[in-house]
Amino acid sequence: MTRALAWLHTRNARQAALVACFLTPSLLIFLLYRVLPLAWNVVLSFQAWSPLHPPVWIGWDNYDEMLHDDDVVWQALYNTLIFMASQGIGVVIALGIALLVNSDLKGASVYRTIVFLSYPLMTVAVAIIWRWMYNERGGLIDFVLRRLGVIDKPVAFLDSFGWALPSTIVANTWQVLGFFMIVLLTGLQSIPPHLYEAARVDGAPGWARLLRITLPMLRPSLFLCAVIGILNSFAAFDLVYVMTNGGPGHATELLITYIYKEAFNQSRFDYAAALTVAQFALLLFLAWLAHRAAGGNAGALE
Amino acid sequence: MTRRARILLALRHALLVAIAIAMLTPFYWVLKTALTGENIYAYPPSLLPVNPHFYNFVDVWYLIPFPRYLLNSVVVSLLAVAGNLVLNSIAAYALTLPFRGRRAVLLLLLSCTLVPFQATIIPAYLITARLGLLNSYLGLALPLMSTIVCIFIFKAAFEAVPKSLIDAARIDGLNDLRILLRVLLPLSTPAIATNVVLAFIWSWNNFLWPLIITRDPNMQTLPLGLARFLSYMEDTTGALYAFVCMVLAPGLLVFLMAQASFMRGLTAGATKG
Amino acid sequence: MTLRRVLASRFFIVPAAIAAVTIGWNIYVSLHAHGLLSGRVIDAAGRPLANATVVLYTHDFVTQAEKERTKTDASGAFAFTDNDSHLIQLQALDGDRMSARVTIRLWFRAQDRELAAPLVIGAAG
Repeated sequence: MTRALAWLHTRNARQAALVACFLTPSLLIFLLYRVLPLAWNVVLSFQAWSPLHPPVWIGWDNYDEMLHDDDVVWQALYNTLIFMASQGIGVVIALGIALLVNSDLKGASVYRTIVFLSYPLMTVAVAIIWRWMYNERGGLIDFVLRRLGVIDKPVAFLDSFGWALPSTIVANTWQVLGFFMIVLLTGLQSIPPHLYEAARVDGAPGWARLLRITLPMLRPSLFLCAVIGILNSFAAFDLVYVMTNGGPGHATELLITYIYKEAFNQSRFDYAAALTVAQFALLLFLAWLAHRAAGGNAGALE
Repeated sequence: MTRRARILLALRHALLVAIAIAMLTPFYWVLKTALTGENIYAYPPSLLPVNPHFYNFVDVWYLIPFPRYLLNSVVVSLLAVAGNLVLNSIAAYALTLPFRGRRAVLLLLLSCTLVPFQATIIPAYLITARLGLLNSYLGLALPLMSTIVCIFIFKAAFEAVPKSLIDAARIDGLNDLRILLRVLLPLSTPAIATNVVLAFIWSWNNFLWPLIITRDPNMQTLPLGLARFLSYMEDTTGALYAFVCMVLAPGLLVFLMAQASFMRGLTAGATKG
Repeated sequence: MTLRRVLASRFFIVPAAIAAVTIGWNIYVSLHAHGLLSGRVIDAAGRPLANATVVLYTHDFVTQAEKERTKTDASGAFAFTDNDSHLIQLQALDGDRMSARVTIRLWFRAQDRELAAPLVIGAAG
């Protein structure tokens, strides 16, 4: 006992106390808003929740309903996967822009800023901007298409079952392009130039240099872009909610908008929690897939 | 420069200019709509604002509680930035010290990066309700006060300070808090700037969290006010686009002033989770 | 960081400029916001109309409401003194003839404004 008391007076003890003090507020917030919610989601998903009386344990019923009785969740899943696949297009475009803007091109920083400008902006505002762009009367897109003769009657993009999701994807790509570009630019700039020199000396043509040197060296950056793309499609609530609110019908319903509606419009916290658990499991699985595809080197998070 | 190289360069610039125009066009279109004096639903829409005027902005200022929304957004963002600076700097400092369980804590934090905020909304709502913080500034700012990215930014900056300085300070008898305040933070101003900008922008743009926990229209923040205005006044007035311009202006301003900090923070492995 | 560097940095200049403009604008507004609206009413031939009624409507996005009426004096001039809106319409009436509704948009509420063009009561309303 006296040894413990003696230890309390040592410097180590003081430092341990200090570390605890300093870490606690942050850890508390993570516990409250990250760890605990994950666990609570799982618990909630096995219960029947109601605001009026304490939750009741019901086992797998919520998951049963999700798999067998719910049509919307499959549509939402399908939409989310399409959304995710389309992020790949954004990455390719961003790679193209990054390659163009790389090196000491005059005005490169201006181009970079212009492309990146949309990323730090409020997604709600971006959604409204694009809603207006797609408007049948006042929007630029219908106007240009009609002027070019591609269509002869205005197309209500955001109201059509076929075009609504691609339209939101275009808006999302516009916003996220800058971020992908910055990540890829950072990756490009860390490729040692002597690799290119050696290849040029060996007589390799430009596109071969691209395939054999640039892309493999960009793997960590591409992995980061893939992870961001996956996270983005699970998190793109603001854009879809304001642009189409999941409509028409459920044509643009993403998993996250469906979860929000079930939880806060229908007050079905238990079912929404089950959906969240399923969505999170899917997210982890996809992130693991990306990790494997990146050669197991998730490294370079810097 | 060879002729071929010159042509390629010109092509490169042309392509980049086309891309820049494509990226800027949506902004221009909304700005034109906010300024134009004609009926915005007339087809064909004119490419330049007709009889431009600023009266839509006046309408937004008076007929929408824009000042109130602005105030709410500013207060919440200031809270989030302050919380971020204080909480994350002390946590990062603690993580630079050797202690038992350090690796476990680091692992915990790293694994939390994969948890997006959207996966936690339901319990986060219930927790905030239990804490009695629904519909309050603190409740709005609390989840944003500590983020993993910001902790790691601080940690990297603190670890870049030469150990000799820290040791010298310790010999001078400064306790840990003083070391943090007097030695580490002044030498980490880029990290502070980055964290301030990141925390501000994440809090300013945050939509889902205020949507969930505000009940009172007086506590709504700007994104929420914007979405509400859209749903009430949908497609009946051009003032909406003036509202959008006014909402984007502060964000644009902060970004343009602090570009370098922001990009630095993003490439430090930032995933907003 | 020296004082000079702080003052010259854009993080000081930009907010300071914004604060200066805001203060300057508020001063201007408080000096010019008495709610005075004045104008003239004339008939189709250009002669000033005395004793015509002028109606003031205030607007917001969806509604409009009549706020006040006043009459023109002998020289066809009228004035409202307590306008507190920024989006208003004026219409002049004389018997059963009316002028067109004129929309006036102000820069701030209760801005003092003297109408440049008179309200014209023509033959047809």
